[in-house]
Amino acid sequence: MESWEILLQQVINGLSLGAMYALLALGFTMVYGIIELINFAHFNIFMVGSFIAMWLMQLMGFTGQTHILYGLPLVGLLVLVLCATMLSTGALGALIERYGLRALRGVSGTAPMITTIGLSYILFNVILLTTGADTKNYSNPMPNIRWEFGDAVLRLREVMLWGVSVVLMIALHYFVRRTKMGKAMQATAQDQEAARMVGVDVDRVVIITFFIGSALAGAAGLIFGLYYNYTSFIIGYTAGLRAFTAAVLGGIGNIPGAMLGGVLIGLIESLGGQYLAVRWTDVIIFSILVLVLVFRPTGLLGRAAPTKS
Amino acid sequence: MKQSRHTRRVFNFAAVASVAALAGVAGISGLQAQSKSIKLGITLPLTGADADDAAKIEHGFQLAIDDANAKGGVAGYKIETVIFDSATATAGQYDPAQAATNTKKLISDPAVVANLGPQMSGEGKAMTPILSEADLATITPSSTNPDITNPAMAGTFKPKGKAIYFRTVTTDAFQGPNMANYFAQNLKVKTVYVLDDSGAYGVGIADSFQKQAEKDGIKVLGRDQLNPKEADYTTILTKIKGLKPDALYYGGVAQAGVKLAKQAYDIIPNMIKGGGDGIQGGSFLKGGGFPAVEGWYSTNAGPHLTEDPAAAAFVKAFQDKYKDVPSDYSITAYDAAQVVLDAIKRVADSGKEVNRANVRDAMQTSNLKTLQGVVSFDENGDIKDRTVSVFQYKHDAKYPDDDLTHQNPYIGVAPQS
Repeated sequence: MESWEILLQQVINGLSLGAMYALLALGFTMVYGIIELINFAHFNIFMVGSFIAMWLMQLMGFTGQTHILYGLPLVGLLVLVLCATMLSTGALGALIERYGLRALRGVSGTAPMITTIGLSYILFNVILLTTGADTKNYSNPMPNIRWEFGDAVLRLREVMLWGVSVVLMIALHYFVRRTKMGKAMQATAQDQEAARMVGVDVDRVVIITFFIGSALAGAAGLIFGLYYNYTSFIIGYTAGLRAFTAAVLGGIGNIPGAMLGGVLIGLIESLGGQYLAVRWTDVIIFSILVLVLVFRPTGLLGRAAPTKS
Repeated sequence: MKQSRHTRRVFNFAAVASVAALAGVAGISGLQAQSKSIKLGITLPLTGADADDAAKIEHGFQLAIDDANAKGGVAGYKIETVIFDSATATAGQYDPAQAATNTKKLISDPAVVANLGPQMSGEGKAMTPILSEADLATITPSSTNPDITNPAMAGTFKPKGKAIYFRTVTTDAFQGPNMANYFAQNLKVKTVYVLDDSGAYGVGIADSFQKQAEKDGIKVLGRDQLNPKEADYTTILTKIKGLKPDALYYGGVAQAGVKLAKQAYDIIPNMIKGGGDGIQGGSFLKGGGFPAVEGWYSTNAGPHLTEDPAAAAFVKAFQDKYKDVPSDYSITAYDAAQVVLDAIKRVADSGKEVNRANVRDAMQTSNLKTLQGVVSFDENGDIKDRTVSVFQYKHDAKYPDDDLTHQNPYIGVAPQS
């Protein structure tokens, strides 16, 4: 492999990681933007999403990598599984908000955040105890289609990953900027009291925010399984931590910031691994995070002066 | 009349006395039965990424103990077990801290005279300082890190001086280097990239492999470390693809190994890939699955046993009882339990008290014919036999996908240095 081929391949790898981190980071950043809560249950909503998608495909007769689909049936199946997974994890997120967190809203201090850690552990242990701890061979109907650029390889699953991420992010952007509910969200993020006074149903805005963030995490869970061909009860931890870091790097509460942060972390991970060493990955990522926060405490795209009173 | 009354009284007395005597005898025998049972600990990562291999080992121990109990126990003692799981959910595999906590519980039970296990060297390193203080010996059928029994590190792993860590497999002082010899001599490997999984076992075996590979004239193009909780190894595999080594050697266990195999199948499908006993087993085979594991070489730190005619009866009994195919380490586990049971018997027969110190001393002088041959130990607790066997994953559609014996056939013995 020539050095440009290696660079190209690592950029492909990094963008794939980054797209996944970005999808996950959106959930953190949206919830934080609305109610200033870091939702650690998000880690494992992602993990549960990857299991739900796998079970759905198993129900339809897809186990392991034995049944391969092409063309329209493949797209149809993936869209169907994606929608069903997003609805399920979205509902899970909404349930968590309604019955786990709403009662604690307005409680000052760390109680709501600790509650999300507890909820995260519940999800983690439910999956661990019901499915066992071994690594699961994922159901994957995607053919191994590859395009070669010299020695660098672009596979169908990378294209799928980027495609799904970009479509979902554009849809989210449109939703937040253009729809009535999106505008209500922006209003709630700026000032909850004022939003309430002009007739915004804040409870509804919050629960929908949880729904959307969790649905995106479910999508990330499906993509994760298809990309790596495995899932396990433990996948939420590393991916969740990186995505949370991405949200902070981009400026927590800021939606484009989360996308930028995700892609940056993905690229740092792959290029750092190539040109330094993989064992230094976490050191590199967190050093960059600290440096950025020292010079820009609100993150890359965060606003210097918060609009909250 | 008077006479008869007297007789009756005597009779009554006799009846009462005999009832009392019976009760007394029963009481005494009950007491005896209680004192005539002893306990063995079993410490394994029974949940987590290596659960499948741990179960094969546990069943090996259990079969030996059940056999002994069915024959009326050992020297009149019924053998009971206390089982500890050293895996935790947060680690997703064995957790050294959990192994240490379990060991503290184990030594606080005075009825425990020896321990069986652990599976992993990372557990072993955490357990030995505690075991040494309590003079409680353990015997492992699978953990191979040489540091634990290395006399130069006795201060850390056996502060009280006596060997308390016995093994029915050899160590990575032979497993890693012999595989390096196999790479150089049999596979004609000229260049290699070495990875480990940051665990005690993985780092150790990768180090010893690397050292011998360099001696054998193999050029080591690089060495890196995987985080076993990380999902993505495409970065390091792309880097390895760019360096174009003849082979990749992975020192580590299944958690990282499974993901490495899946991603390596995509990125470096034609490279020679191998590892140690950490990827020799059901966990790697089931988690990785074919075609990802196809072609991977693995080793065992002992002779290949499951297809040995001497073990045929064991293999059948194991399959009948557990509906599972045993691994070679099921057999080293069975042998390890035999060593402990034999030590208890020798202590009891010699008239000494069956306690931890005496059982340990008896284990040290073991010279027992087992399924793998005669087991005896050097003064550090290491087995004297130093065979390392090589296997390769090869899909055989005639057998079930998780049949280890047929999906991971034996190739031969790795050359000794």
